[in-house]
Amino acid sequence: MRRALLAITGLAAGTTAMVVLKGSPGTSPVAQDLPVAPAPVVPAPAGPTPAGEDVPAAPSPERTSASPRPGRTATRAPASRPSGTTRTPSAPRTTTKAPPPAPTTRTVTGPVVENEYGNVQVQITLRGSRIVDVVALELPEETAQSDQRSEQVDGRYSGSSGLVVQRQSADVDTVSGATATSTSYKRSLQAAIDRAN
Amino acid sequence: MAPGPDPGGGPSATRPGLRRVEQVMGTAISLNLADDLPAAELHELAGDVFAWLREVDARFSTYRADSEVCRVDRGELPLAAAGADLRAVLARCADLWKATDGFFDAYATGRLDPSGYVKGWAVQVASDRLLAAGAANHCLNAGGDVRVRGRSSTGRPWRIGVRHPWDAMSTCLVLAGTDLAVATSGVYERGHHVLDPRRAAPARGLRSVTVVGSDLGLADAYATAAVAMGPAGIGWLDGLPAHRHAVVTDDARLLHSTDLPLA
Repeated sequence: MRRALLAITGLAAGTTAMVVLKGSPGTSPVAQDLPVAPAPVVPAPAGPTPAGEDVPAAPSPERTSASPRPGRTATRAPASRPSGTTRTPSAPRTTTKAPPPAPTTRTVTGPVVENEYGNVQVQITLRGSRIVDVVALELPEETAQSDQRSEQVDGRYSGSSGLVVQRQSADVDTVSGATATSTSYKRSLQAAIDRAN
Repeated sequence: MAPGPDPGGGPSATRPGLRRVEQVMGTAISLNLADDLPAAELHELAGDVFAWLREVDARFSTYRADSEVCRVDRGELPLAAAGADLRAVLARCADLWKATDGFFDAYATGRLDPSGYVKGWAVQVASDRLLAAGAANHCLNAGGDVRVRGRSSTGRPWRIGVRHPWDAMSTCLVLAGTDLAVATSGVYERGHHVLDPRRAAPARGLRSVTVVGSDLGLADAYATAAVAMGPAGIGWLDGLPAHRHAVVTDDARLLHSTDLPLA
């Protein structure tokens, strides 16, 4: 996760857009209207990118949100570098996070884009033609530079305000969680693991 | 559920070891012994583990009126006459009360309830005993509090997922290690049931706290205390020596120590 964060930061160095989706409770959302048909979203490879912003190195207070729902908090969209090559998504991931209210909400997953820092895959959620959420499904893991940046930028944490919590690989031997009752155990991943063994 | 032979431990298993799940202490306890030992020996080791956990439940449960804890609480059993285990547990609870600035409180409910430490401690003791008995590769998970040692039967370090706070079937983080205690406290299970003992009100701000260390009793108590602290718990966890942590806030942010043993 830490690496992911720095990866974002690293990417930002030569990169294009940053989308701050939602401000703090008091401020108005900064979500942008999508000018064009939002077909499968590829983090705009090359092309005339409007004045790319650098990811702020310091924690930005507007990146926190009081929204109790997952995936609705502010997040940044890593964009590909111009040199990026595209390959088809290896394993399309599913999400169940579509926020309940509002008109036609849909989720679009972009392809995995390779760049010099590693692979990036982004998923966006649209309500009408408005982007309401962006989640990075895959981010580069290993680069010396991003590690370095991470130390500079993040101090001891994965992020000043943290990354939006995401789903991870289910390839585990056991699960740590607050499993208080036998009923909740039956519905847990741990129970599924136990049954499989 | 019921004790007895487990299919995982039979000769049909392609991987060595034994897996068994039982309901003890009101929760499911999953044991995975990964050592390539004779089946009879594995069954005996597993039997010892669950016998110990049932013994702890009988002596420490606040739901059993005849438990040592309840008898001490009612004043029927003088502390000095209680078992050495209970006295040690209560001493640790007192230490934890100080170490957490009062946020871990065995008297938070108004009566003696050391459960926040007991489960992790009991699992830690069971794991220590397995190690001493020659079962150096095992994973014991009691209601989401996990102690792993050595490697799984696949030969790789144990991989421990941290439950996604909004999805019981997903993980939000994967840890790996050969000697870890991993405890998670969260409000997603029973609502905001963790009390802030200072305000006597439900704690808010942190949806899930995972603490990684070497002693499961401590890790569990620290995780519970941090949930009770709310957002301030993040800074407190960061100052905790020899422990790593991961926190998911109520607004779905994931933060963790940079040196968390990620898989």
